[in-house]
Amino acid sequence: MSAFALMITVLCGAAGYSLYARRIDRNTLRTDRRKATPAVLYHDGVDFVPTTRGVLFGYQFKSIAALGPIVGPIVAAQWGWLPALAWLILGVFFIGWVQDYAGTLMAMRNEGMTMGGLSYRYLSPRARTILLSFIYFYLVLFMGAFSSIVARIMANPDVPIGLVTLTLAGVFADHMIYKVRRDLRTTTILTVALALVGVWVGTTGVNGVVKLINGAVGYTAVIDGQTVPNILYTTPYGPMTWPVWLWGILALVFCYFGSILPIWQFAQPVNYISFWLIFIGIIGAVLGVVIQHPGFADFPAFTGFMARGVLAPGVDTPLWPILFVTISCGAVSGWHSLVSTTGTARQLEKETDALPVAGGAMFTETVLGVLSLVFAAAAFGSFGGYKLVLAQGAGAVFAGGMAHFLHVLGIPEALGGAFGAVFLTIMGLTVMQLVLRFMRIASAELLGDAVPAFRNPHIGSIVALLFTLLILWTGFWQRIWILFGGSNQLFAGLTLMLVTVWLAGAGKSYKWAFWPGVFMYVTTVAALLVTAHASLQAALKPGLMSAFVFGNLLSAAIGLVLAILALILAVDVIGAFAQARQRKVAMRESPAAV
Amino acid sequence: MAGGWEYLGKLKGYMQEILYGMAIHDMARQLRRQRGSLEHLFILVSMGDLLGVPVLPPYYCLRLLPFVVPEIASWKRRMLRERDLLDALS
Repeated sequence: MSAFALMITVLCGAAGYSLYARRIDRNTLRTDRRKATPAVLYHDGVDFVPTTRGVLFGYQFKSIAALGPIVGPIVAAQWGWLPALAWLILGVFFIGWVQDYAGTLMAMRNEGMTMGGLSYRYLSPRARTILLSFIYFYLVLFMGAFSSIVARIMANPDVPIGLVTLTLAGVFADHMIYKVRRDLRTTTILTVALALVGVWVGTTGVNGVVKLINGAVGYTAVIDGQTVPNILYTTPYGPMTWPVWLWGILALVFCYFGSILPIWQFAQPVNYISFWLIFIGIIGAVLGVVIQHPGFADFPAFTGFMARGVLAPGVDTPLWPILFVTISCGAVSGWHSLVSTTGTARQLEKETDALPVAGGAMFTETVLGVLSLVFAAAAFGSFGGYKLVLAQGAGAVFAGGMAHFLHVLGIPEALGGAFGAVFLTIMGLTVMQLVLRFMRIASAELLGDAVPAFRNPHIGSIVALLFTLLILWTGFWQRIWILFGGSNQLFAGLTLMLVTVWLAGAGKSYKWAFWPGVFMYVTTVAALLVTAHASLQAALKPGLMSAFVFGNLLSAAIGLVLAILALILAVDVIGAFAQARQRKVAMRESPAAV
Repeated sequence: MAGGWEYLGKLKGYMQEILYGMAIHDMARQLRRQRGSLEHLFILVSMGDLLGVPVLPPYYCLRLLPFVVPEIASWKRRMLRERDLLDALS
């Protein structure tokens, strides 16, 4: 069944690419390989540099594939494997590639403008300011969701030593490349080997040090029949343990250094080593799945319209709209349009490369999402086994799945599990560093004049980290993930609306972007409101400590603010759309007058 | 048979490009940006002398001329390009 799921995804992706996407590319947007792209026109040797499509495909895939396509399907499997698989396949077929490809092409045909510039040009000056504020809040949720996943994985004593070694290997790589000036191949072999040894050492007796640290604080209690050690405080969602609390802080300290230090000194070499570990992990896991091709055992295809315990323990959660935002990447994601407009669109050598690069990377990412779903459905023997591991976090499910499938290749399960956990941690941390760097620049830009303290990079970073910590320590991890997914998918909906306005203004067929945009918009605003309501309910429960109340109120407020900002943007979109259609009619009736 | 080898060669080339794109391209872009900002500074410092103010260009500027001239076009583009906050994400 697992190999069948992967095969059907690949076949549907190939069909979507060749039958639907190519048709739009040729007949509607009519890309022309002879047309000069911004990379060629504005070649500045830095941002605008013509690059071959093979290189850009790799760059685009690496930039878009983070925790989203991995964690989303794992959480969404609570409705059964079929809805998640169907959304991944149909979502990318009708919506995902449309957003990535059309967003890239829109930026490319507008001198490589970012989403801010595009919204200014096609909607209104107000829309640009609203969009930038939206992005800041969206990134707060991004940090909260990713850190809540990462902190839970790092609480596993097998993980921190591997992660510390990987960081040291990154610093060592920086020294070898920039100071000693050794060639990249030798540096890569040495430092990746060092990181892999570190992951292995982390699973041996040396991790006793970590166990000692993890066991230093807190009390033990029996919760739902299970003994939970090192509890700091209890929440309505379960206990907050000392290891999760501590490693959450340390993960954010890591991001702080990544944000403050020169990028080539810390973030860049660490991310480079991380890439190789992720690459090895994906190849190994795919091989494991193909060789073993296990069935889904008693894992149900569909558990019902309501899944218990997704938004909060014991609470029934509806499939619509929540599943569509839980899988916040893999089917469609707003993050992609941010990446492709600021990076890829400025480097494409030919217009005709936009589809294989942006659309192709999106279809490939879906395969990663389905691989993650296979981990959840096939690695634990039963639905009960999966639910039991999911209680420790989506990271535990992924690490368990990775251990299971790497074991097929002869790698011990403990080592495979630690490798999977480190894999997921670095996948989260690499993007979190970039996001934190952006947030500190954004706060300096937006608030620097009113509050000069925000111009200080340390203050901007610390404020963003405090928001993150508050969400991490007080929220239910699945609900934070869904709130983040809602904002991420809403951003995709807004991008599709912007694309619609652009297409309508250019007199081209726009329904292929319009209807996916409407679906995403309605679904995600509904999801944000449902999730904000759940956070509000959690905050108003009597007898909670004040930080907990405040943290949940913050989550609810961000959800509501995002929904309101989206409504204001929708008003601007409708106005701009009507104007664009009027222009089109005027152009048809009297071309000379326009 | 020759066609088969050629196809394999092309495939290998594509795979190498994709791997480069995933592993190194981002790093190369960041280094380009670093180099670009140093070039800005350098051209800013030496431009007055290079243009002949004072009238007799210093000897070092004449030596630098062949290296700076090819960079001037891209430097102008970078300096004059309208920027957006979201550029920080690239």
